[in-house]
Amino acid sequence: MSGLFWRPMFLLLVCLIGYVAVLGPFTSYMKHKPVEEKLGYVPSADLLRYSCADYKEVVGAALLMKVTMYFGGLMDKQADNIVSEKPDYLSMSNIIHSALKLDPYNMDGYYFAQSFLVWDVKKYVIANKLLDYGMKYRTWDWYLPFFAGFNNAFFLKDFNKAAEYYKRAGELSGDPLYLSLASRYMQKSGQTDLAIVYLSILENGEKNPAVKKKYQFRLAAFKEVRRIELARDRYKEKKGVLPASLDTLVLSGFLAPPPSDPYGGQFYIEADGKVVTTSMFSFTEAGNSKNKVGETDERH
Amino acid sequence: MNAIEITGLSKQFTGKHMIKIDALKGLNLNIAAGEIFGFLGPNGAGKSTTIKLVMGLLRPTSGAAQIMGLDVSRPESRYNVGYLPENPAFYDYLSAEEYITFVGTQFKMDSTLLEQRTEDVLIRLDLWDARKRPMRGYSKGMIQRVGLAQALVHDPEVYILDEPMSGLDPIGRALVKDIILDLKARGKSVFFSTHITDDVEKVCDRVGVIVKGTLVAVDRVESILRSGVEGYVIHLQATEAESLPFAGIEALRRTESVSEYYVPCSGFNAFMGEVNRTGTNVVLVEMKRRDLEDFFLSLVK
Amino acid sequence: MFSIIQTTLKGVFRDRVFQGIMALAVFFLFIPSAASLSMRQVTELSITLSLSLISILLFILALFLGATTIWKDIERRYTFSVLSLPLSRTTYLVGKFFGIALFMLLTALFLGTVSILVIKFSSVLYPPSRPILWSTIIVSIFFDALKYIIIVAVAMLLATVSTSFFLPIFGAISTFLAGTITQQVYEYLQSQSAQKAVSDVVRNAAKLFYYILPNLSGFDLKVHAIYSIPLNSSGLLLTIIYFFVYTGILLAIGSILFERREMK
Repeated sequence: MSGLFWRPMFLLLVCLIGYVAVLGPFTSYMKHKPVEEKLGYVPSADLLRYSCADYKEVVGAALLMKVTMYFGGLMDKQADNIVSEKPDYLSMSNIIHSALKLDPYNMDGYYFAQSFLVWDVKKYVIANKLLDYGMKYRTWDWYLPFFAGFNNAFFLKDFNKAAEYYKRAGELSGDPLYLSLASRYMQKSGQTDLAIVYLSILENGEKNPAVKKKYQFRLAAFKEVRRIELARDRYKEKKGVLPASLDTLVLSGFLAPPPSDPYGGQFYIEADGKVVTTSMFSFTEAGNSKNKVGETDERH
Repeated sequence: MNAIEITGLSKQFTGKHMIKIDALKGLNLNIAAGEIFGFLGPNGAGKSTTIKLVMGLLRPTSGAAQIMGLDVSRPESRYNVGYLPENPAFYDYLSAEEYITFVGTQFKMDSTLLEQRTEDVLIRLDLWDARKRPMRGYSKGMIQRVGLAQALVHDPEVYILDEPMSGLDPIGRALVKDIILDLKARGKSVFFSTHITDDVEKVCDRVGVIVKGTLVAVDRVESILRSGVEGYVIHLQATEAESLPFAGIEALRRTESVSEYYVPCSGFNAFMGEVNRTGTNVVLVEMKRRDLEDFFLSLVK
Repeated sequence: MFSIIQTTLKGVFRDRVFQGIMALAVFFLFIPSAASLSMRQVTELSITLSLSLISILLFILALFLGATTIWKDIERRYTFSVLSLPLSRTTYLVGKFFGIALFMLLTALFLGTVSILVIKFSSVLYPPSRPILWSTIIVSIFFDALKYIIIVAVAMLLATVSTSFFLPIFGAISTFLAGTITQQVYEYLQSQSAQKAVSDVVRNAAKLFYYILPNLSGFDLKVHAIYSIPLNSSGLLLTIIYFFVYTGILLAIGSILFERREMK
């Protein structure tokens, strides 16, 4: 057994060559393991809570990191227009919920969940429940009621509730802006402004580059909507009627340059003058047809 | 071919604060085939360091050593050696029989021979009854005997024993001396370290004394013993009245019928001449010599 | 070599390690009842819990055996008697490793058998929505064992230079934690957003770690086993090759270091 093979130097050399040879294929195999595999399965939060003893915060943070890294990778692919696979939002949401059960004070979880739960998955009720849960712990954090207010106003159209949340956000932050937000939404044109304010605040405070980029995309889209709305209003002022379509606006010179949706969708003007886009402000919808699939959601 | 050849062997340890400590300084030593060599020295003199260097447990800072012509850096050199470590310890979850078998396997012994030899050494070292028990239940003396058994099992040409007598009761020590003398009779070479001079005197051909990493003396045991003769104690048959000084030497002690004289080497002939002339009977002549212990102590000081 | 493996195995068994595992394996009995708490996926949860329990037990074993075996031999002075035998230190180290690796595989076999019985029991009581792929479960347990054998090799490599067992234990734990996320970090750093957010120094350091540390996420096939997702056989082959070369490198470096170690 003390033959040539067991001479450590020889073994080292052979194995190093083998390692270099296998590393390339192995790395590429690992890269192309299906997404669901990479996000992995996380046992239920109750089970985790009992099994990770004193390390709840660490485990919670690790889970969140796992989700953000996974999501960051996908966002890059989307930015390159290689929309290879849809993010597994359900698993992401599950993991974030588990993480927040372990450590209800972890702000990243709430912010990140808010960033995709409402726009991409349209789970407004789940998002709001999560925010309510967070508000019990992060009693000083004005972002949480601010998010909840926005969700109520923009998506669920529950203005009373929205006003309540905005009031709380205003009290916590000491900024009167939030108090006026709910009332602003009552005006027809207010919706877009509201979203722009909301997104600007988020975009400013975000440190995670993938999520920040996501906000920037959405902000750009809303700014385009605002531009169309302004053109539409000018058109109506001049001609007395709403433009028949977006093309009318562009051709008549009210809207230059022509609008472009960063999500790759098509803007259009509805019969009542509302400006919408086929992308529904999300990459996941961009490929869908013009009929509003996204509306079959939890808005009630 | 010499059994063990050590040339210019040095070992430096790096102690605390990067201070270099010389544990062994340029040791030159040859152990001839068939020789029993005692390696004497006080604690910490470098005996164990020397042995560990020879067994490949330590790497020499400089110099080299060979066993039966094979350099000790090669594991094969150890095929010819039976080694007993100082205060040995063996896998305590094994029984003595299992461990001896394990050692024999490492020496690539044939299985029937190994079985026979295992039985022989276990009986010889009085471990036969305990052979099936795990060694964690053994006494210190039993472990020491297992150590000897595992050094003997493959019947090598060379034996390197580090403090073979330590931890043994008088019966055990006698047994070890017996074994070493037996090996000598069979023409084997034994290199053993000890700090007990008595062991050396009884069994060794040659002895080396090491002090603070340096070999200070190597000599044959007989010549040390011979050169150490200082005088004689002579008992004469003489009554108290008759016990006169002979050649100017007074009696040390007198009993009713016997007088005791101490005569240095130089005065022996003159003393005996006068004794003969007076016709006094000599009852006993006893050699008075400096023993190995004194020899050893004189070197260490 | 063979007798070193045999002696190592004897040591592990006689230290009653296996009895300890059997005692901990009692937890398997609670799995069906714990899993029935899940409303929708009882069998899936049984598989998850069984595989996780095996994983934890193997991890503890890997740490305990990998980190203490050489340290104990040195500490209890066994090395003087064993390393002075005519065997090379490489043979000693590799033999010890094989002994422990074999024990890990035996334990995985034992725990795997128990968990399959448990999963079978759960699936009879609560038939799963997707058929269970038994072969995938077995493969997943096998790869889990391979993963922890790498951890054994890491711990043993560290033990060849360390005088205490702290370095092997904590080094192996850190390697394990880092090894499970190195792929994710590597992919993140490859991404565009990371190009801007992370400095080149950090990125290159992380890349270096990616090449040095074991990539353990490749050995995690739990999701395949739980949701009956078919396995990619060429990917598994790559993973096995990766296992052999990586373990080989660890053992070779460990041997080279151990050959130079002084037995004071």
